[in-house]
Amino acid sequence: MSAFSIKKKTRIGMIIPLLILFIISLNGISIINFKFITVNIHYILVYYFVLRKPDTLGYGFIFLSGIINDVVLGLPLGINSLVLLIVASVATYVRTLTVRVTLINDWISFIPALLIANFFYFISLYFSDFPINYMQLFNNSIFTIVFYPILWALFSLISNYLEI
Amino acid sequence: METSREDVSIAIRSAFLKKGTKQRFSLFVLIIISCVLIFLQEIEFKPIKYTRVLIKDAIYRGSVIVSYPGESFNSIKNFFKNHFNLYSNYNELRRDYEEIKKEKYQSDFLKLENSQLKKIVQETLATSEVLVSAKVLLDKKSPYLNSFILNVGSNKEIKKGMAVLSKSNFIGRIVDVNFFSSRVLLLTDLNSKIPVILEPSGHLAILSGRGEKLPTLEYLPKDNKIEDGDKIYTSGKEGLFAPGIPIGEVKIENNVYKVLVFSDLNQVLYVNVKTGEDYYRK
Repeated sequence: MSAFSIKKKTRIGMIIPLLILFIISLNGISIINFKFITVNIHYILVYYFVLRKPDTLGYGFIFLSGIINDVVLGLPLGINSLVLLIVASVATYVRTLTVRVTLINDWISFIPALLIANFFYFISLYFSDFPINYMQLFNNSIFTIVFYPILWALFSLISNYLEI
Repeated sequence: METSREDVSIAIRSAFLKKGTKQRFSLFVLIIISCVLIFLQEIEFKPIKYTRVLIKDAIYRGSVIVSYPGESFNSIKNFFKNHFNLYSNYNELRRDYEEIKKEKYQSDFLKLENSQLKKIVQETLATSEVLVSAKVLLDKKSPYLNSFILNVGSNKEIKKGMAVLSKSNFIGRIVDVNFFSSRVLLLTDLNSKIPVILEPSGHLAILSGRGEKLPTLEYLPKDNKIEDGDKIYTSGKEGLFAPGIPIGEVKIENNVYKVLVFSDLNQVLYVNVKTGEDYYRK
């Protein structure tokens, strides 16, 4: 493969995470809901790409996608952007501290990221007078953590294929 | 120890305040903006409100375009599903038709009797009600909010609190109005509390959404005589909605009074918004 086509492939690959981010927000499918299993793919996507491929997702875009998600899902404006930025900031912090990144490291560090994010989510909704289904929030946190390795593997496959 | 503490503070500073190589904004600034946005949500200042409404309208349109491939796939899937179920549906409808035909005669008599009784007690009827038809623009149900977006807003005189009907059944109320769109909070949502009346017992209750498929009845009298299949209508209490709009029927499960809603909330494409002036004066 020529150097030109590799560069082109990489450039296209750089847009893919961004496209996924906005498709998820605009489609309102940030939370996959199947019976009692709910997984927040938005958190995983942001965490993975900010941690592993920081040049692909700008903080501005993450903020914008949060705003879109709030509008589509009918939440008060700013809540999802705040929560996604919190996830991104934990990922950035972990990136600056760690040298060797493995799935186990990522997975373990994702747990505090999710807990902090959900704490802010809870606080913001509480002050916006928005009732919270605690059971669903708990379910969502558990399954998001459980499903992290699967999506991690999927995103790694995409990144490797696109040579990001 | 001192060194590790310094490391942590350097890491925090670099994560939050530095923009990074290809970042245009720092995380700290964006987090502050998000907090300000949440705070602004509570402020009813006209320019802020209009900006919010414009942003929402624009995002809804964008969302409709992006959702188009998914929606098309779903409609094709539904088309085939309906086609294969055609015969069983036909038989079911035929049975229902025979039953309805029987009940119609009785209902006509009751209507006549009711109008005569109303004349006797000189009851003033509710003001003329106007139904505004609307299309469901977006149907994005999250685990936290059961709602959908309609393609009418303040341009069609839609106001907060108006009842939304699917065919003639109550399914929710308007909670957010933009210029060209509005949000319907479905009666299954956790926020939804609807005053209702049960038939034939005549008990008053509150129909409360639980974020699940079946809403429940609350504040019922202890010695009630409610049975499976009892019908539920809006009570019209506190002037929120017109009285007598059908909602669903009772289904008792483990002593919990659940309600089977007449309309299938996953299959709603078009709705009517009830705009009777008397009910939505505020």
